[in-house]
Amino acid sequence: MNLFWRIVDFVVGGIFIYAGVLKAMEPIRFASDIENYHVIPWALGVRLAFYLPWLEILCGAAVIFRRLYAGGLVTLLALTLVFIGATISAKVRGIDITCGCFGYASDNLGFIAHLALNLIILIGVVLLLRRTAVSTEARS
Amino acid sequence: MRGFPTRQILLLLVLAFVPAIGEALYFRGRVSWQSPVPSSERVTVEQAKSWGSRVLWIDARPDREFAHEHFRSALSLNEDRWNEQLPDVLAAWSPEKLIVVYCSAEGCSASRAVAERLRKEAQLKNVFVLDGGWEALRAAER
Repeated sequence: MNLFWRIVDFVVGGIFIYAGVLKAMEPIRFASDIENYHVIPWALGVRLAFYLPWLEILCGAAVIFRRLYAGGLVTLLALTLVFIGATISAKVRGIDITCGCFGYASDNLGFIAHLALNLIILIGVVLLLRRTAVSTEARS
Repeated sequence: MRGFPTRQILLLLVLAFVPAIGEALYFRGRVSWQSPVPSSERVTVEQAKSWGSRVLWIDARPDREFAHEHFRSALSLNEDRWNEQLPDVLAAWSPEKLIVVYCSAEGCSASRAVAERLRKEAQLKNVFVLDGGWEALRAAER
């Protein structure tokens, strides 16, 4: 069973590292993607575009290497919830966006596909968090 | 997990600043930090009007908004009908022209997208985005 959870660690962590690297390679493009949501001003969005990809990479690595593991998972949970919220909010406001979640790799994904992908990631993160909480309780 | 991992989260949040700042320094000359359009590619209504007949006005708003009201002499060029409308723009263009693209208002992004495509795909130079868009232009006309 431990092997199963390690695989989930690698999948979830790997997805965030992949997404982070793609965005870190093209921060200006990611800044434009953030701008398209019309939620925050450009001056803040462009700074987030340089910061968020590295946060994703670090948290993804934390999950894979099991260092700062719980902190990494909670941060990834928060990021995923923000991404889901922003995607739904844009859809509700009738904004046609590319979510930018995976840089150029997500250009052709529609709203439903983005949402489904984010929900699958969310489920993975929540399962890992739950597993961590359960195993910690069992030890103590 | 004994309690909430606040310290771990804070550590990760702080650590992420290190590569982010490094990358921002690397890109500092290529990023417009205050506006999505670099100041060299923006123009105010006053500046654009001072260029007089050298300006080729491009309206990047959707067709229905253009049909409802638009700046005199402006040509419609939006991303929905790019291929159909581009030939008219190219026919009106000449090397001494300064292209000024506008969309609805300050917050819109269509003018940026059209200006970018004019530079990259049509290989046109002297393409500017109008500050404040149609809203500012119409206010200046009153």
